[in-house]
Amino acid sequence: MTSFEYFADTCASIEQIPGSLEMTDVIAKLLKEVTIDELPVVTHFVMGSVFPAWSDRQMGVGNRLLYTALSKSSGVSEEEIENIIRKTGDIGETAVQALSSNPAGQSTFSAFTEENPGMEIKEVYERFTHIADTAGKRSQGTKIKNLQYLFNSATPTEARYLARLAIEQLRIGVGEGIVRDAISKAFETDVAAVERAFMLTNDLGLVAVAACNGGNEEVQKLDIQLNRPVKMMLAQVTPSIQSALNDLGEVAVEWKFDGARVQIHKEGNNIHIFSRRLENVTSSLPDVVEAVQENVNADTAILEGEAVAIGEDGKPRAFQDILKRFRRKYDVEAIAKSIPLKLNLFDMLYFNGENLIDSPLRKRRELLFQNVQSSNRILVDRQIITDNEEEIQEIYADALRAGHEGIMIKKPDAPYSPGKRGKNWLKKKPLMETLDLVVIGAEWGYGRRANLIGSYALGCYDPDTGKFPAIGKVATGITDEKLAELTTLFSDLIVYEAGRKIELKPEIVFEIAFEEIQKSPNYESGYALRFPRLVNVRDDKSPEEAESLERIGEIYHSQRS
Amino acid sequence: MLEATIDASLLKDSIESLSVLVDEARVHISPEGIGVKAVDPANVAMVSFELQADAFDEYQAEESEIGLDLTRVLDILGVAEKTDKVRMKLEEDSRKLSISIGGISYTLTLLDPSTIRAEPRIPQLELPAEIVVNGKGFSRTIKAAEKISDHMSMGVEGETFFLEAEGDTDRMRQEMPRDELISITPGPARSLFSLDYLSDIAKPASKSNEVTLQIGNDFPIKINFEIAGGRGKVGYLLAPRIESE
Repeated sequence: MTSFEYFADTCASIEQIPGSLEMTDVIAKLLKEVTIDELPVVTHFVMGSVFPAWSDRQMGVGNRLLYTALSKSSGVSEEEIENIIRKTGDIGETAVQALSSNPAGQSTFSAFTEENPGMEIKEVYERFTHIADTAGKRSQGTKIKNLQYLFNSATPTEARYLARLAIEQLRIGVGEGIVRDAISKAFETDVAAVERAFMLTNDLGLVAVAACNGGNEEVQKLDIQLNRPVKMMLAQVTPSIQSALNDLGEVAVEWKFDGARVQIHKEGNNIHIFSRRLENVTSSLPDVVEAVQENVNADTAILEGEAVAIGEDGKPRAFQDILKRFRRKYDVEAIAKSIPLKLNLFDMLYFNGENLIDSPLRKRRELLFQNVQSSNRILVDRQIITDNEEEIQEIYADALRAGHEGIMIKKPDAPYSPGKRGKNWLKKKPLMETLDLVVIGAEWGYGRRANLIGSYALGCYDPDTGKFPAIGKVATGITDEKLAELTTLFSDLIVYEAGRKIELKPEIVFEIAFEEIQKSPNYESGYALRFPRLVNVRDDKSPEEAESLERIGEIYHSQRS
Repeated sequence: MLEATIDASLLKDSIESLSVLVDEARVHISPEGIGVKAVDPANVAMVSFELQADAFDEYQAEESEIGLDLTRVLDILGVAEKTDKVRMKLEEDSRKLSISIGGISYTLTLLDPSTIRAEPRIPQLELPAEIVVNGKGFSRTIKAAEKISDHMSMGVEGETFFLEAEGDTDRMRQEMPRDELISITPGPARSLFSLDYLSDIAKPASKSNEVTLQIGNDFPIKINFEIAGGRGKVGYLLAPRIESE
């Protein structure tokens, strides 16, 4: 059994390491040292998450709740705790300071019993699980008391990382990339095998356990599991149809529907629907569930498609309308009537017990077509295989006329590569390209807009470190009403405020239009945006799906070629 | 096995004396009666509860342990009138408890006791001072203290029991000499407690005429009282807040 203190000490030393190679070594050592039960927990903890991304379990601990728990354990008022965080800018350091100043801290019974064994990693995880599972009107109190217990049992170093873990922001610069490499190193397993297993299972904890149990052999056995989402295959933007043809030769062309991507798992009549962010959205989409039950001819299947809301004019409705459907928790049936969805299926990853992802697109598509009966709610749209540029141009023009986004151009013989944005899938869209960037901070407005957030700091995503290096700011420059709506959206994500500046938990993705990417020493990413404008709030994307630092670099270079 | 009938109000008070600290409890059932020991999630307060067989109108039981979701039981008892009788029957194998109140019968799914936090280890404490007060008066003092602070100290000076709260700006103090107390065993004692917890504990204690408090210096407090006319008892142990020098 490993103590939480050992984990905390390891985090403290990782924080001092500048290079990712050395970090990988330290994490590999940690993963090797912990017991097999602790391994999945530690794998997630080092990335600052408590549960795997696919899990329905959510910590549900906001800053406010954490301040209350800290206040109760330390005896320092919540007001004072907010003062400390304004100075330190870090919840971890704030926890340390509050607990050590201790004007009249709450003791626990451990202080009055003989033994005081310290906390084990498993105990922290069990308390977190309890916090996540607590529901009902008294749940806030129970969550607070469990946090209080953890803080009162913690040494200062433990408290620093407990506080950060509780809000799932560990900030030690460890992301999926480093953990993947560390698993590979700790258990002498191929990086590619670890990566593939991660894309299929969406759970590095599970992959680490397999690697520990049997290296390559066990990791390769990890496979798609029904009802657990697979990372979606993504497409690159192609500058022109001609260039796509040059890259791929004969291509499969489909409309790119203006809707929301979904992954559907079918096990008999039991249907699970996952959003692009791989969140379970089944309960919001009863009409899609029914359509799949009635029209998909398979005992078990994993399907992918685009859910589209069609307006009375026959054109797709605004993306925000579709999101209304996805986010709805109450009166689901009513909104399903007012915004009906149509499901356009385009891929099948699994069929009657067989994993299809290594099969060529042609075959997957054929099976999909054979096993779905088209109706007014569900359809496998046509796919044309051709190498004729003019023909593709026509399909492209038709898709745009119908109000959709453009076309997908796919390599017919390519497998499905989970989580990859490779060259086997290309998309062609009009318009200048936009960037999806994560909102990492903000500033309150001036004068009349002093109670509204006036501008937002944006970051891209660095998958190696899990950080969101800054790339610029966007002043919204829109109506007060829209500003107020956005301010509300971000109010729960405020980590701390210092004067007008706000630090936000990186959670929300903005779609940003821009003129040009420039090199800049002013931002952590090394780049800046010229004339950024807010196009859309992309609630369907997770922060990790924002543009990667690497991608920003590619765009920068492509502008210059 | 359990088959028992009890006054609705007694059952409700009993459950409430537990639910002020925990949402779920392991209940020990034996031919002599039922008992619960539980610690709150923060490891700051404990409760031990006993209700003898003769506190029930009818009682028949064999040794067993069940897991109760207290919030749900309280919710169900909300439909009972004060004078109603509650009939409980445990179906051991199905892990369900049937509860009948005035013609309505519920079947409650029980929790697996092993999923509920284990019984606390009770610290061995020597508490030098013991004071017996009226529950209602004690509860009133706590309400008064809550108006100015979130913590309150209790102690003994000579033969006087005192309760004292200090907020950012205001102070409250109550002194109770021997003749205002039901009884006092003086001893050196002064400890500080969170009012959140004290007020939760004072709720069930306020219904008792005699509440026994045992205190020490920066030590946990014991708060004990009887229920069901002496056929049951409730005891709390609350860890202090400790002021650093």
